[in-house]
Amino acid sequence: MFGAIFEFLFKYRPAVFEQGDLTFGAPVSVVLIVLLAAAIAVPAMLTYFRVGGKSTPRDRAVLTALRVAALLVLVACLFRPMLLLSEAVPRRNFIGVLLDDSRSMRIADRGQRSRADFVRDSLGPRSRLLERLSEKFQVRLFRFGGTSERTDSAGSLTFEQRDTRLVGAIDGARQDLEAVPLSGLVVVTDGADNSLTEVSDALLALRARAVPVFAVGIGSERFARDIEVQRVEAPRRVLKGGTLVADVIVRQSGFDGATVPLIVEDEGRIVARTEILMPAGSDASPVRVTAKLSDPGPRILTFRIPMQEREQVVENNTQRALVDVRDSREKVLYIEGEPRYEVRFVRAAVAADSNLQLVVLQRTAEGKFLRLNVDSGDELIAGFPKSRAELYRYRAVILGNIEASFFTHDQLTMLADFVSVRGGGLVQLGGRRSFSEGGYADTPLADVMPVVVEGAAVADSLTFFADLAPALTPAGVAHAVTQIGTARVSAADKWKTLPAVTSVNRIRRVKPGAVVLITGTVPSGGRAGQPGETALRYEQPILVYQRYGRGIAVSMPIQDDWQWKMGAEVAVEDESFETFWRQLLRWVTSDAPARVEARATPDQVNLRTPVQVRAVVVDSAYERLNDAQVSAQVVAPSGGRQTVALDWAVDQDGEYRGTFAPSEEGVYRVRVTATTTSGIAADTTYVRAAPLDAEYTMAEMRRPFLQRVADETGGKFYTAQTVGTLPDDIAMTKRGVTVVNQMDLWDMPIVFIVLVGLVSSEWAYRKLRGLA
Amino acid sequence: MSTGRRMVIAGAPRLVRPMRRTLVALTIVLCAAASLMPPPTAHAQRGGRIPDRFRESFGDPNDFYTPPDWRGNPPYDGRFTFARIKYRGYARWSGREGPGWSHDYPDADVHLMSIMREITAVRPFISAGPIVGGAIVALDDPALFKYPVAYLSEPGGWFPNAAEVLGLRNFMLKGGFVIVDDFGASDWGTFESAMRRVVPELEPIELKGDEPVFDSFFKVDMARLQQADGGGGFGGGFGGGGGRRGGRGEGRRGGSFIGYFEKNDPKRRLIVLAAYGQDIGENWQWSGAGFVPVDVSNEAFKLGVNFIIYALTH
Repeated sequence: MFGAIFEFLFKYRPAVFEQGDLTFGAPVSVVLIVLLAAAIAVPAMLTYFRVGGKSTPRDRAVLTALRVAALLVLVACLFRPMLLLSEAVPRRNFIGVLLDDSRSMRIADRGQRSRADFVRDSLGPRSRLLERLSEKFQVRLFRFGGTSERTDSAGSLTFEQRDTRLVGAIDGARQDLEAVPLSGLVVVTDGADNSLTEVSDALLALRARAVPVFAVGIGSERFARDIEVQRVEAPRRVLKGGTLVADVIVRQSGFDGATVPLIVEDEGRIVARTEILMPAGSDASPVRVTAKLSDPGPRILTFRIPMQEREQVVENNTQRALVDVRDSREKVLYIEGEPRYEVRFVRAAVAADSNLQLVVLQRTAEGKFLRLNVDSGDELIAGFPKSRAELYRYRAVILGNIEASFFTHDQLTMLADFVSVRGGGLVQLGGRRSFSEGGYADTPLADVMPVVVEGAAVADSLTFFADLAPALTPAGVAHAVTQIGTARVSAADKWKTLPAVTSVNRIRRVKPGAVVLITGTVPSGGRAGQPGETALRYEQPILVYQRYGRGIAVSMPIQDDWQWKMGAEVAVEDESFETFWRQLLRWVTSDAPARVEARATPDQVNLRTPVQVRAVVVDSAYERLNDAQVSAQVVAPSGGRQTVALDWAVDQDGEYRGTFAPSEEGVYRVRVTATTTSGIAADTTYVRAAPLDAEYTMAEMRRPFLQRVADETGGKFYTAQTVGTLPDDIAMTKRGVTVVNQMDLWDMPIVFIVLVGLVSSEWAYRKLRGLA
Repeated sequence: MSTGRRMVIAGAPRLVRPMRRTLVALTIVLCAAASLMPPPTAHAQRGGRIPDRFRESFGDPNDFYTPPDWRGNPPYDGRFTFARIKYRGYARWSGREGPGWSHDYPDADVHLMSIMREITAVRPFISAGPIVGGAIVALDDPALFKYPVAYLSEPGGWFPNAAEVLGLRNFMLKGGFVIVDDFGASDWGTFESAMRRVVPELEPIELKGDEPVFDSFFKVDMARLQQADGGGGFGGGFGGGGGRRGGRGEGRRGGSFIGYFEKNDPKRRLIVLAAYGQDIGENWQWSGAGFVPVDVSNEAFKLGVNFIIYALTH
């Protein structure tokens, strides 16, 4: 509408003014005309001001302005303004028209008609748009999805391709038409690009070659009624029997306030189900879901929301995640400075967990240690490890009630490196010899801990005591460690039923980056403070962690969490304590890397899509190695094997890369083996090859992306409604073989209207003021 | 690892089928005796019938005896605290020390904790003002669950009621550990029948001496132990005494150690450790008074330290 009015008033479309260069075609000099105008205008103004009569100075000013304006319009017309416009010579130039042939084009979000229908109607044989394009250009059609190729007609499109690589297709078409005069590329798509290519680099190349891209966006920018499981963030690996915590991003439109189920399936078996409330006024919301995984091996987890009533797109209700459920045995070292109940109960809690090996180094007297659960008679024979290689064999370390002065400075530094360099987990428990009271202030571990430790050691003296009733913080509600709830009782409610515990470590502050999962407050009838002091309102963290370097540091400044098992109010069959400790140790060991860490990117691909295998190789002290011999044995679902050599990536120390492309559907096993001077180490990762559903993820028309492509290349963005001007706009791109047109502006209807308006206004003013 | 030897206890019907007639006769005699002298539990249930002279001497058998040295339990502060189990009534009364459960209190408790403090890394409660030794708790008291290691002396006088049976059962199943001391052949039946009510699914198993509990801090040499106690039961000279359990021929003479294991499997958690035919606590009590040879009291302390270190770590 606006375009039509503009064209009526200004004779040409806005694009003409955008592309054209303004010039004047007056036969005499501009100075002469200006002088002539002044010679006419000045006497006229003087005449007005001399003639008094009934007029006031204001009347005379208004009448003068109107008359001068009319004269100026006439003078401007005498300049003969015109636009110089380079326009493509008809049918001497080429354009490439790229048609989206992917599955998302099947979505019917244009009333009852699909996006594909638009392509067939508008760009099919004998369509008006294609005819107009063909009148001006040599048109070359391309179809694209995961791949792109030339096609004769839109009628050959099948809309079957399972992914879209828009930027790659544009670049491919540009190269295909590099030898001919190219006026531009037209992309007809919904804008879903699910390639991992960096868009900015590709656009830079197009801009450098001055190839404008005209993007025609098909589809609605927001579905009227749809729920989409957009993304799943799940850990790549969990221990068998462990709790998987996944963040699921759910988008919705038209379901404000509705409650829908989110179901997690482990290859057909439901392992979790939760009800989600769709928040009003928000289109995307994260949902945290937990599930127990008991079957080892690569598991394909399906996260789905069942189809809802009148939902527009059902294909986007499901996402899958590939999780490696490991049946390994993670070794944890627990050093305890004082024989106390903690060792007894923690050992019992994890004893039944075949995936955890809790090695205990118990100081029973000064210089006397009890070793429990060691692998050999030599293990820890000399006490706490004195070398990195010895310490780094463990994936986590628990510091019990043991003072900092027990360790040498080197051992404390080693422990800090254990977290930051080796990527292990460190858990410090409360006690009279722990934290500030244990003299950890100003030690290398002070930085590692998530709580602030300060002051001198006061070991074995009771300087502080607090009863603390546990409760989950918002961060703790959905954390993997705290999930002790049952089908009937949520984790948050369950924690509130557990007995109060006690602390002798006053925690005044936590570090800025720390996350408190469980907090403790003084219960009714409880006490807190120094001896002789009783504070009724006191709160301090019971479980807090922070990431430090590559690892995790956890502080648990309480001395008797075994009360969660032994407490009088705890039922005999209650396994909250056992569950908590197993989950805590599984969590702190889960991210601790092995000496070879293999990873496939992406881990879910369509068939014949390249997969990059990356492996980081370190020595026993976790120093990265660049001289290892690394290879990957890839085992296909059918059992076929191939060996892929992994070469050192020069830009990253210790990182080796290789590529393979799966050719059959199923889960590929990738076993990476590194041969180093200190021995052989290996790791396994998995890749799922299958027809993926990425096409339906964020399947609404992505206008911002298409607009960006058009803007950065000098093209223009269209919708189905505005695409009619496309042929004329491309003709004015100044690309290819062009001719310059002079387009007069003096005869624009707006000029006549303004002129008549000014004269009429003068006459009307006179009549109004009685000056006629 | 020892697999132990299952205890064969006289008086248990399933074990004495050939002796059924004898048992019936014995039962009749016992019943007649019982009718003349009601057991303390019966006293407890019918406290009103207790003669005044008993009441004056021993207190109300429905209630607990209060040792004269007891000044309250220490407030819980997380430290290891010696917990002595008390039971109702006045059975095994000693005019000097009250009923059986309080024998040796508080000296035995204080001495053992002092030894723990001196030679191990445990920092236990020993005393605070007038409060000495540790805590005294009843089996139906929720406070029991603050002390996962508890000590029961002279179970020959122990006739728990239903609440106490349930309390002790829950204590054991959750992870509690009980050291039983100072009882002999005449007490075995009482102890075993009480245990049968608490953990009917468990059987007493005689320990061989090579179990981890005898090697948790000190290496306890059982042969040396036998030598120290003169073969008649460790500490037998102080009132324990061994003898044949239940008077039957199956039990051996002298002291021994009996265990109750989780699922009756000696490789699993030891729940109860009973020093049968022995009185270790007596040796702790008198260690400083010169009544006990140093060698003997040393062995007693070694056992006590081992039991506690074991309980804290296993």
